[in-house]
Amino acid sequence: KGENGTLSREDFQRIPELAINPLGDRIINAFFPEGEDQVNFRGFMRTLAHFRPIEDNEKSKDQNGPEPLNSRSNKLHFAFRLYDLDKDDKISRDELLQVLRMMVGVNISDEQLGSIADRTIQEADQDGDSAISFAEFVKVLEKVDVEQKMSIRFLH
Amino acid sequence: NSDGKKAGEEGSQQRERGKKAPTKDQKESENKEKKTNKKAKEGENKQKKDRRNSTTSASSNSSDEESLSEEELAMLMEQVEQKKKLISTMRNKPWRMVKKLSVLREAQAFVEKFEGALGKGKGKKFYAYKMMMAKKWVKFKRDFDNFKTQCIPWEMKIKEVESHFGSSVASYFIFLRWMYGMNLVLFGLIFGLVIIPEVLMGMPYGSMPRKTVPRAEQATAMDFSVLWDFEGYIKYSALFYGYYNNQRTIGWLKYRLPMAYFMVGISVFGYSLMVVIRSMARNANESTADGDDDNFIFSWKMFTSWDYLIGNPETADNKFASITTSFKESIVDEQESNKDENIHLRRFLRVLANVLIICCLCGSGYLIYFVVKRSQTFSKMQNVGWYERNEVEIVMSLLGMFCPPLFETIAALENYHPRIGLKWQLGRIFALFLGNLYTFLLALMDDVNEKLAEEDVVKNVTHWTLLGHHNSSAGNSSTATPPPLDPADVPRGPCWETTVGIEFVRLTVSDILVTYITILVGDFIRACFVRFVNYCWCWDLEAGFPSYAEFDISGNVLGLIFNQGMIWMGSFYAPGLVGINVLRLLTSMYFQCWAVMSSNVPHERVFKASKSNNFYMGLLLLILFLSLLPVAYTIMSLPPSFDCGPFSGKKRMYEVIQETIELDFPLFVAKIFSYVANPGLIIPAILLMVLAIYYLNAVAEAYQRANAELKKKMQMQREEEKNKRNNKASTNPMLQDLEDLLTPSTKSESHPKEAEDEKRESPNRTSPVGKGGKAAAPDSSPMTAGRRAAFTLPPHVFVTQPPSLGVRAPYPGQPRPRWHPPGPVPGRGRGQPHYSRAAQ
Repeated sequence: KGENGTLSREDFQRIPELAINPLGDRIINAFFPEGEDQVNFRGFMRTLAHFRPIEDNEKSKDQNGPEPLNSRSNKLHFAFRLYDLDKDDKISRDELLQVLRMMVGVNISDEQLGSIADRTIQEADQDGDSAISFAEFVKVLEKVDVEQKMSIRFLH
Repeated sequence: NSDGKKAGEEGSQQRERGKKAPTKDQKESENKEKKTNKKAKEGENKQKKDRRNSTTSASSNSSDEESLSEEELAMLMEQVEQKKKLISTMRNKPWRMVKKLSVLREAQAFVEKFEGALGKGKGKKFYAYKMMMAKKWVKFKRDFDNFKTQCIPWEMKIKEVESHFGSSVASYFIFLRWMYGMNLVLFGLIFGLVIIPEVLMGMPYGSMPRKTVPRAEQATAMDFSVLWDFEGYIKYSALFYGYYNNQRTIGWLKYRLPMAYFMVGISVFGYSLMVVIRSMARNANESTADGDDDNFIFSWKMFTSWDYLIGNPETADNKFASITTSFKESIVDEQESNKDENIHLRRFLRVLANVLIICCLCGSGYLIYFVVKRSQTFSKMQNVGWYERNEVEIVMSLLGMFCPPLFETIAALENYHPRIGLKWQLGRIFALFLGNLYTFLLALMDDVNEKLAEEDVVKNVTHWTLLGHHNSSAGNSSTATPPPLDPADVPRGPCWETTVGIEFVRLTVSDILVTYITILVGDFIRACFVRFVNYCWCWDLEAGFPSYAEFDISGNVLGLIFNQGMIWMGSFYAPGLVGINVLRLLTSMYFQCWAVMSSNVPHERVFKASKSNNFYMGLLLLILFLSLLPVAYTIMSLPPSFDCGPFSGKKRMYEVIQETIELDFPLFVAKIFSYVANPGLIIPAILLMVLAIYYLNAVAEAYQRANAELKKKMQMQREEEKNKRNNKASTNPMLQDLEDLLTPSTKSESHPKEAEDEKRESPNRTSPVGKGGKAAAPDSSPMTAGRRAAFTLPPHVFVTQPPSLGVRAPYPGQPRPRWHPPGPVPGRGRGQPHYSRAAQ
């Protein structure tokens, strides 16, 4: 809105869908590089590139180069980073609790939330470290059609 | 690279045709851009482009001929197809907008230019014309589809309801809309083929006895109270069966009305059946497409439950609430599975509850029977008050209103899981309504039989009256034709079909009224009360006792289904009933949408909408069959009234078909039908159909099993891949000892089974037996699991032997490079225990 070529956090928070989203603040943070308060067009585009639809014949192309930003793995990584706040590549029980608290408000007691978090970790954790690593996260969501759901199509 | 070559060829083709492409280079570069699938958002690879340019210029030195050879034609066609495919998949490509547009335009121009050229010689123009027409047809179809989507009524309303109340409430409205469509078609059928011809081409009102109000009733025929009971003028109108004349053909079109009446009656059921089954099949398709993964319930709820497309704050609050309740539900699910109560007490309570409910059902059935009997005696009396006249309908509606909550309170004894409890509740309400309906029908049948007996008497009376009238008039004047008796004076038989029709119409109307009043009072007035009186009331009305009403989906859907059942039953005897229902559904849609938005609150408990859709369709199908039975019975076995309706004078209603076949069709058709109706032909046909059903059922089951097997295989593969990647040890030391004891052959044979077992085991292995870095071979874990399998499933061993040996091949190979074995590996089988021992 300020029309100075960059976006600030307030501009994002004007979008209603982001404002009422419990994870809205984290999504907004994902746009901004470390420690900065402004994002220019390039950075904005870079984040949105995660949401490009995936082309079918891209899979057969060179695997050697860096993976494109909109691959399934990178999309999932984007989602993973929303939950992993301290960026240690694991979603710990506390981080889960925080997300749960944001999603359900005060309607569920703390101990129930704790048991939900425990149950989630129990379901997803394969290597027993009481946290969800990226690989486990991928495994949980492998049935979800991430390529379709995390894509924005233009020319619709 | 092949794409690049094609681009080059295409460029050369262009030049061969001698057409100037001024921006040929640019076009070629864009072609190459198109063909190379770009992943990065950066600009094109300039070096690639230069390289390809050189190759095209090299190949462009080929001959420039005007005529097309066969292979060039084929190549050209291929390119055109390619371009078309590109155009259709353009939207999914992750390119920049400018690039997309330019490539699109170029491809379209190419297709347009060269498609016409594909025809040979004289056929060129025709081919081009054909292509153009095909394109126009596609465009027309697309526009028509868009138009059709716009025409769907009430889409915005339903979307609004959906966003506020969720998909389950919206599914009720979608069901309502679907029923409206079906009823509209039925109404069109009946109205167009039966009512209109009779009204336009048949004898007008007052010309015949059956169409005139009898003299005795004429005084009161216009009273509102009489009209409300559907007596008086309404009874003798096209709305009811009795109005229709039994003339074989009417009007100058020679329209066969009785035949049409009969066929329309049958086709009402046929069309409804078709539509319901088609809808069920469609729903079944969609539901099997869903994944039914129970593995990651909580994780999925955690990570994927927010709907990112919600923009409305109130909807967001609803979504919060629904996420909350969804978690609560899952917790309840978990608790239910962990409950370990006194089984005997529970069983006793459940039996008790069922006994109570059966008592209630019987009681209600008897009550209805009693009331209907009473109403028959009332109809013979003179001064009947309003209550007595409408007693039957009132009682039925009251039962429908109060019994379901009663069932719910009794069901609290049973202590089922909420979802199962809901199904029981629906089943019981269904049984209640069904019992009521059938009791009503039985009572009605008694009534009909009485009327049939009465009819014989009246027939004689009419006969003698007419005879007497003729004699007297013949005596008076000597004209050949006696003046006809005024139709109003002819003694009338008790037209039982019209009576039945009237009963159904009255039941429907009272049902409509009761529903509307319930909504008005139960929802709207209650909401007003809670909202406004809350300020000066002792306890919090909104949170406490009355609070706002929730939308009772199941009650409403069942009401709709039963209403439709009554319509189906009654439409044969009262053609106007479907019209009344259409009006009812139309007003109901607006009224209920308004009521829901203004006075209901979203559900506390989230109701999974998708799986129940087929449940309701199944109920509808059941009701359709059940309502077909009485109609079929009356058509086949009861004689029609002698003086009213299109079948009067016949012995049975279906004789109209025989009559039509004999008189209207050529002779051989009658012979054909008589052969076909031979039992010797029909019974084998029925047997054949039964066999076909059995066969198709078996095939469907086989497909399902194959589906499950494939799913299992896929999961197996994923497990193995994951194991390979993680390289972890999840072996049981006890099983490793067993490994050593077994021979190698059994190990290799039971490989597929062990992988299955492994998959089954892995969710239970929450804390793997960590063995540090040097894990045992990944396939040792499937193998250890397979030990058990080998013991428990010997028959499978032999079956799976041939493929497993081949499948096993990669696995032993892979771990070997990772951790070098101490010595040369003698063989796969014997090598394995060696490894696991080493890992120990």
